[in-house]
Amino acid sequence: MDKFDAIAFELFKNAVFGVADEMALTIFRTSYSGVLKNNMDYSTAIATGDGRLVAQGLTIPGHLGSVPTALAAVRARFTDTIAPGDIFVLNDPYAGGMHLPDIFMFKPVFFGATLIAFAATVCHHTDVGGRVAGSNAADSTEIYQEGLRIPPNRLYAAGAPNETLFDLITANVRMPIKVQGDLRAQLAACHIGERAILDLVARYGLPEMLAYMDESILHAERLTRAAIRELPEGSFSFEDWIDDDGIESGKPIRIAVTFARRGDTLTADWSGSSPQVKGAINGTLGWTKAATYCAVKCILPRDIPNNEGVFRAIEVTAPPGTITNMELPAACAARGLAGFRMLDCAFGALACMLPDRIPAASDGGNTGISMGGYDAQRRPFIYVEFVAGAWGGRPWADGADGHSSLFSNMASYSAEVTEAEYPVECLTYELMRDREGAGKYRGGTPFRRDYRFLEAEGVLQVRSDRRDFRPYGLCGGQPGAPSDNILNPDGEARRLPSKVTMTIRRGDVLRHELAGPGGWGDPLERDPMAVLADVRNDIVSRERGEACYGVVVDTQAWRVDAAATEKRRAVLRAERGWTATPFVSRTADHPNADRREA
Amino acid sequence: MSETGRIGPVRIGIDIGGTFTDLVVMGAGGRFHTKKLSSSVENYARAIVEGLHEALEEHAIPTAAIAELRHGTTVGSNAILEHKGARIGLLGTKGFRDILQIRNLRLPRLYDLAWDKPPTLVERYLRRTLDERVDTHGAIVRPLNPEEAAREIDRLLAEGVEAIAVCLLNSFANPIHERQLRDLVAARAPGLPCCISSDVLPEIGEYERTSTTVVNTYVLPVVARYLATLQAHLAARGIAAPLRLMQSNGGLTTTVDAAERPMNIIESGPAAGVVGARAVAVRIGMPDVISFDMGGTTAKASLIEDGAFSRSPEYQVGGGVIMGSRLLTGAGYLLKVPAIELAEVGAGGGSIVWIDAGGSLQIGPHSAASDPGPVCYDIGGTEPTVTDAVLSLGYINPDYLVNGRLRLNAAKARSVFNARIAAPLGLSLERAAHGAFEIAVARMMRAIKAVSSERGRDPRRFGLFAFGGNGPVFAAAMAQELGVTRIVIPPSPGLFSAFGLLYADVEHHRARTLRTILADAGTRLDGAWDGIAAEAEAMLEVDGFPPSRRRIERFAAMRYQGQAFELTIPVGPGGLETIELAEAFGREHERTYGHRAGPDEPIEVINLRVIARGIPETPAVPDRLSIADPDSGTRPPPRPAYFGPRHGWHDTTVLLRPDLATPRPGPAIIEEYGSTCVVPPGFTATLDDFGNIILARPSHVPGSAIQ
Repeated sequence: MDKFDAIAFELFKNAVFGVADEMALTIFRTSYSGVLKNNMDYSTAIATGDGRLVAQGLTIPGHLGSVPTALAAVRARFTDTIAPGDIFVLNDPYAGGMHLPDIFMFKPVFFGATLIAFAATVCHHTDVGGRVAGSNAADSTEIYQEGLRIPPNRLYAAGAPNETLFDLITANVRMPIKVQGDLRAQLAACHIGERAILDLVARYGLPEMLAYMDESILHAERLTRAAIRELPEGSFSFEDWIDDDGIESGKPIRIAVTFARRGDTLTADWSGSSPQVKGAINGTLGWTKAATYCAVKCILPRDIPNNEGVFRAIEVTAPPGTITNMELPAACAARGLAGFRMLDCAFGALACMLPDRIPAASDGGNTGISMGGYDAQRRPFIYVEFVAGAWGGRPWADGADGHSSLFSNMASYSAEVTEAEYPVECLTYELMRDREGAGKYRGGTPFRRDYRFLEAEGVLQVRSDRRDFRPYGLCGGQPGAPSDNILNPDGEARRLPSKVTMTIRRGDVLRHELAGPGGWGDPLERDPMAVLADVRNDIVSRERGEACYGVVVDTQAWRVDAAATEKRRAVLRAERGWTATPFVSRTADHPNADRREA
Repeated sequence: MSETGRIGPVRIGIDIGGTFTDLVVMGAGGRFHTKKLSSSVENYARAIVEGLHEALEEHAIPTAAIAELRHGTTVGSNAILEHKGARIGLLGTKGFRDILQIRNLRLPRLYDLAWDKPPTLVERYLRRTLDERVDTHGAIVRPLNPEEAAREIDRLLAEGVEAIAVCLLNSFANPIHERQLRDLVAARAPGLPCCISSDVLPEIGEYERTSTTVVNTYVLPVVARYLATLQAHLAARGIAAPLRLMQSNGGLTTTVDAAERPMNIIESGPAAGVVGARAVAVRIGMPDVISFDMGGTTAKASLIEDGAFSRSPEYQVGGGVIMGSRLLTGAGYLLKVPAIELAEVGAGGGSIVWIDAGGSLQIGPHSAASDPGPVCYDIGGTEPTVTDAVLSLGYINPDYLVNGRLRLNAAKARSVFNARIAAPLGLSLERAAHGAFEIAVARMMRAIKAVSSERGRDPRRFGLFAFGGNGPVFAAAMAQELGVTRIVIPPSPGLFSAFGLLYADVEHHRARTLRTILADAGTRLDGAWDGIAAEAEAMLEVDGFPPSRRRIERFAAMRYQGQAFELTIPVGPGGLETIELAEAFGREHERTYGHRAGPDEPIEVINLRVIARGIPETPAVPDRLSIADPDSGTRPPPRPAYFGPRHGWHDTTVLLRPDLATPRPGPAIIEEYGSTCVVPPGFTATLDDFGNIILARPSHVPGSAIQ
């Protein structure tokens, strides 16, 4: 058989990605925590015996490239002693991990005495201890507050469980049954992966299988480089901000990136990003890579296999000690926020490179909301939810709404299931009017959620952003409306900071409003019929239709007044006096652009 | 030739497919006629009745001989896919106007900035909310205000809605407000269809319930109209036999039920094929098979185990073809009704063969379909397809397809395949064509794995039941890849879905949410089950089944407390003690996922389900079938066919089905009206006592298909 027989190779690729998917389904169907089921916050992968990623399943973009980093940490520590029956775990961000809730598990696969591959899984666990239930606190200031750190270790040694480690985990987490159940799901997936790899050896023969694993990586690299070669040359910089870290309120955090194409390599340099911060929103270099890869994959052809070959063609650098490459003792549990903003920033730079292909900013990524505590019987409860839902206007269409963040692809929780399982009542889950960034193609419509807390007492934690620095608009499009958190909106209506940890009591209501995504293109060029539909659907008010889009709608007959629209648009054009269409807009430039501030 | 008096009572299966509508007229003695009609007509109902009339005339069968008509239809799914359903309004709870639009947020595609959800079936201005509230335990927190409700209903009526859907928060726990709204709608707009979610789907989950109720309401007027027209046309032809509809769950129901709950008949065609496969497989003593249905654009797989098919509790309508990945779902309209579980991949005869930028050979998902069609059809297709590859390998006869009515241009197919695929890869034509054939096999394996190994079932212990126009071409190669040693190819495989209709039983499925810890459930389970069963029995009563001919099956959907997914466990007729139920759950968990929790871990019951089945007095299909329209033409001469680098070219015998009365070793090709069966070297083909082709091979040779 020819080593690079195109047909046999394609068959192998199908088979090896099938293994990763099969592992992922095992976790999906047997997991205990909602984070795994609803948020699919886990990944599965197959790597070569020397730690190169061959196939990663299609689950969460945020884990792109995380497996090689973690596996390198295991191999660095155990290379010479890895034995059949071993299973390795780790979660320490300073030793291969991402943040503490993400526990990696690796099973080395042996053929006879030869280490030929690794079956890899990583899952976000419900709780790994630390100050705050759910281990997601945004206000920890050092890693030691965030929970149990597990450096690379054997969970099983030659088939025998490491009882010490199991005991330590059980004693340090709030919900040991869920954590054990999810570890069991990871174990099952690793076993299935091992069995499937050995089936591949039986089918192809060992030398062929090893050659095909190498070729899978080279193939992905060739496809990626071919696509990169088609991109414009030059370097493209962009910056964006996080409002603050919740510890030093009001102190903006800069994120900056420069993309450059050099031949068939794309480089992303995150120099210029803020030094690491006190709050727990710092990221590892691996996290920065994941955000970079995610953005770049959106402009690559869709059929490139998800493996190390892709990453070889994309060089990511970030100065140590920054929010994009943290150093001890930085805290990172809520580093999701840094990832979402890095993604916004990377898209901005890519928009400079490819203005026709990249949307305006989304709502800014997930808001993390958690309510935890103990009931009257001292049983713990933890309600953790990540909400996001609207994308920026696109160069060819409006932004989508009711869409998860691209970086996390999470499902929302059912209000009815929430009410049945948690001491929480869902009062509202609905789209909001007049929050979209106006544009020729407007941003999607963000929603708000209202929760009433039903236990005697608990800890509320919210990690939100995009209140001071709104989602940017592109090519004449407006930025979206800011996010908000309001306590007891129908009573005292107290405005809470974007990041908050506080005690709440029975009957307290939290309202969270997502930020509005940015618009794309000049709002005065928007199709008046689209504005009519938005007004009729109560997504845009009649007043805003006139003020921002210059479209005059007759709400009795539901039609556009064409003559009045033409006049209104001429006035608005003269008023704003653009000499050139602004490429990026971060603050509303029209007095009526955001009625909430008017 | 007259068969009056000899043919006796006949049963008729009518299956509307993408290109053709297939009719099967089945006599009591097992003698059957088939007829294919074009599906592309404005008035399905009339076309069907006219086609049926012609078929009866042709064979001199009086309309009075018709005992029953059974029908699988795409009218519901077409209304959804083409957005041609009714203009409807939706009433919900204050604060939840956008359940239908927000859905569950998850995207079916990663890294795709261009993807959009399908548009909602109810625009936002036709979605209204009411200030009412029931809590999770069913207590009324805020009563419904009848004046507000009347105002909102009138508002929808003024917009000209043809039907109203109602889904209020927590109505699974207490349906009273929904029932009040239904009565208000009836009072203000008598006769206007109004579907309330607590009737349609009394289960927890506001998005699933809203979506299902909306889909049902949206297609209801269209399906009801279609069924009324069909019945009127039948009556006009003097056909008084009962008409039954195939449901997505594999059971039959009445036209009355189908018109009220059209959500149950959306996927009736694909279900019929699986129902037929199950019936035939059980009858020949093979209770464990994987059904494999390959047509022009897609291939579908389904698992039949212990003589039963598996059902999934929900699916997406119009989600496009899944690419073998069950991880990313949500592309269509969610319908939470039980449906025979099918995995579908975009690989069929029309799938385009191409080379990616990395130099790798690929199949689909784009399809040349029937327009412009494969290159060999010679009607404008320029992209090489799977059919062109199969033709180049010598498997199909360019002069024999559909009794020679469709002639293929083999030279053109070979030349295009050579220029576009073989030459760039530096391969011979036959090697490249065989590679495309193998890659098609690999893609379809994903569908089969999705229903077998990804569910913890080892495909090697199953038989393969192949049908559809292309199923028998690929069956042996699929079996080889799967390690399957026995293949069944039923009579008339190209029209098998229409046959499948004839094998179905009347079935009604009902479910209800009942959240409780199993150990604490006590007699609550029995009480709840009895309630649902009584409802289902009442439907069988209406269907005309006496108590002795009713079968009630009970199921419990359970999970370890805190787990995110349920497993559905069958419960025997006498019921089970909770302790036995717990053991049955643990066993199933271990069988499916390879592990189970300790005995102390609490098990939670989420839903109870009942399937009520009406058992017919005589089976609708006799054991042995004989086709009354024998294949015309003489046996074609042998021709060269290529079976991969290991076996090379063979001068291959061409057979007709009756030739298999004595076992024939491969290589051989069996040609029939509408399909071709490939018997590679190493396989033996025989005919069983029921007229099925059985392909067998001695043992599994791993990886032999790729050597």
